[in-house]
Amino acid sequence: MASLPQAPPDPVRKVPVARPAPPAIQRVRRRRRPSGEPPPLPKHLNASGKWWLALSALVVAVWIVVVVTGSATHFDVADTRMLQAIADIRTPWLTRVAKVTGVLGTPAAIYVIWLANWLLLVVLRRWRHLFVWIGVGIIVVNIGASMASTLQRPRPFEVEILGPWAGFSMPSLPMTVLSAFLVSTVYSLVPAGRFRAIAKWVIAGLLVVTALSRLYLAQDHPTDALAGVILGVAVPLAAFRLLTPNDVYPVRYTRGRPAHLDVTGARGDAIIRALQDQLGLVASEVKPVGLAGSGGSTPLMITVKGDPETHVFGKLYAATHVRSDRFYKLGRTLLYGRLEDEQPFHSVRRLVQYEDYVLRVLSDAGLPVAHPLGIVEITPEREYLLVNEFFEGAREVGEAEVEVDDAIIDQGLWAVRRMWEIGLAHRDIKPANLMVRDGTLFVIDTAFAEVRPSPWRQAVDLANMMLVLGLRTSAEQVYARARRQFSDEEIAEAFAATRGLTMPSQLRRMLRQQGKDLHGDFLRLLPYRLPPVRIQRWTWRRVVLTLATLFGGAIALSLIIGNLLGSPL
Amino acid sequence: MSGAVVSSLAVLAGLGLSGCSSDTTATTEMPTCAEAEHGNASNAVVLMAQSVPTASYVPCLRTALPLGWGFHHLDARSDGSVFSLDSDRDGQEAIMVRLEESCDTSGSTEILSDREGLQRFERVTRTTPHFEGERYYRFDGGCITFEFRLAGESRGEGLALATSAVGVISRADLIEQVHEDSDGRLSLDPAAAEGEP
Repeated sequence: MASLPQAPPDPVRKVPVARPAPPAIQRVRRRRRPSGEPPPLPKHLNASGKWWLALSALVVAVWIVVVVTGSATHFDVADTRMLQAIADIRTPWLTRVAKVTGVLGTPAAIYVIWLANWLLLVVLRRWRHLFVWIGVGIIVVNIGASMASTLQRPRPFEVEILGPWAGFSMPSLPMTVLSAFLVSTVYSLVPAGRFRAIAKWVIAGLLVVTALSRLYLAQDHPTDALAGVILGVAVPLAAFRLLTPNDVYPVRYTRGRPAHLDVTGARGDAIIRALQDQLGLVASEVKPVGLAGSGGSTPLMITVKGDPETHVFGKLYAATHVRSDRFYKLGRTLLYGRLEDEQPFHSVRRLVQYEDYVLRVLSDAGLPVAHPLGIVEITPEREYLLVNEFFEGAREVGEAEVEVDDAIIDQGLWAVRRMWEIGLAHRDIKPANLMVRDGTLFVIDTAFAEVRPSPWRQAVDLANMMLVLGLRTSAEQVYARARRQFSDEEIAEAFAATRGLTMPSQLRRMLRQQGKDLHGDFLRLLPYRLPPVRIQRWTWRRVVLTLATLFGGAIALSLIIGNLLGSPL
Repeated sequence: MSGAVVSSLAVLAGLGLSGCSSDTTATTEMPTCAEAEHGNASNAVVLMAQSVPTASYVPCLRTALPLGWGFHHLDARSDGSVFSLDSDRDGQEAIMVRLEESCDTSGSTEILSDREGLQRFERVTRTTPHFEGERYYRFDGGCITFEFRLAGESRGEGLALATSAVGVISRADLIEQVHEDSDGRLSLDPAAAEGEP
């Protein structure tokens, strides 16, 4: 919007804010992690994952040796003798049994597994598992087909083949794909623990039965089936354990936001150990707190040993939060245009560093924010814990028990004024982020704060603060107090900039619940109104992003319809 | 859009387009009658022979394809095999060569065969705007079908190519080849089937 004639502000009265002293927290000597020592919660593949990957590497190595040395005949002869031995026990009824028990290796059965998993994962909205599932399916099918085409091993010699087959035999593509699909099913649909352990034994049994059937019917050589199973198990095992680790992306059938990480078990232990090593805080308990109000991280209350015991507040961030943030910002850009500079973060380390930095800037400026205590690394580049002061006994400003008087209003308005002075915008002023304790207002959650924001964004902060404070008081009271710190032009600009989308959803919801038009009340109090600031702005970035998204969507749709929904075999 | 998203889409698109459906068991390895080094038929031909265990002859490619022609793929299955040739003038899969246990030659005309031991039949189903027709070679235990879908002007080229580039190899030769390759330890067919026509 055009720059406004800025009236010289009235002399702003200083609002004395008695900022509480930092909490006395008992600390112990910190310990530097020496080179080579694993981080508190290392990325892990588990022993079985490594074992299967090693077996896959062995299979590939054997293939190379066989091709280079031309020694395939030795394997052919050994396999043929085994198949001949199996063929010797063939009887009509056993053949019928083998044809039935080998049904899982048929294209129809594999197609059913493929589509059923698609459907289930879409219904369950387990998108990450779905993408890994599809990726594993595509990779395994293509690797298996490429290897078969490269090795060009014919079907078994000297034995009558009783079942259907297609293409070269090494590795057995049906066994490869079936193994991969069953393992993927277990890792994407069965919760970790006892159920998954049982499921693994079940699929092991199914694979053995299917392989025996195929050997009986001489559809595959024994080494074809073995190589297929190894390849088919190793790829999804590695993919799911690395890309959807259970402690980050658990498979569960209970309600709960996916952003919230489980802080029990290995992660809980790692957090306690890391807190002591990196910050010198000896924690006795780590438990989630205020999950309902948090969608972008896992907020934690950490009990610190001492006399007396104290608490610190932790925000656990993982790579998944960065991705969520990225898609959230992309969605906002596509839907609403350039609301503000919505560039996403590209790593969880950067995200946490930024929030810690902003917290320190706000703290240094004397704003009533939590005292920052530092960053704890849980898993390098994947998980970090931002630790700061815990406001013991503080309540949200929107709660009925909290008394919002002139002093609280002044503190809230002063916080905005002070942020303007130091060139910051909070960008998420809402009831849940304003806490009150003993007559002091605290501003929390600086995750969305921005250094040197646009004037528009700063104006929105003011209007949102006035609206939040007005929830528990009245527009008249808040407006009267605001005029002590802000000029009429500034307040008019704030309400010209703020409406609907620019308000946090919690604030919008509470305004609706109250049933009064607080925004309209403020507008009526203004001596004059400014034209609303246009927030729907098309930019080149938005155009490119929209086109790229539509193009990507069209490609994905055509792939799904034309390819991925087809049979993998 | 982040690089990761773009690259993920690209990978997905690339992998997806590379095939996750019916072509996965097909191979682009040419079923050559005699590979240059040791004169043996390729394993793709052996696989075709396995797809029709009764067939006494198996089709194969005996010469390099002329400019403008390319090998599409070979799909060998337990109930028969088919490979196809692409042409930059006559279109994709302009010539398809099938090996099956039997074929329906009704409506076709038997003509003098250019291959010893094989009966030849011809059937033309369309001449304009493009040429469509079949050529059959019937023999003991099997049948080779050439399906022509020639969209170009010079249809004679495709018909001639089918004669010159596509050859046949006898099952007996393949049995001998497998036997020699395995130092006499293996045979192509089960013992009971060997020697049968």
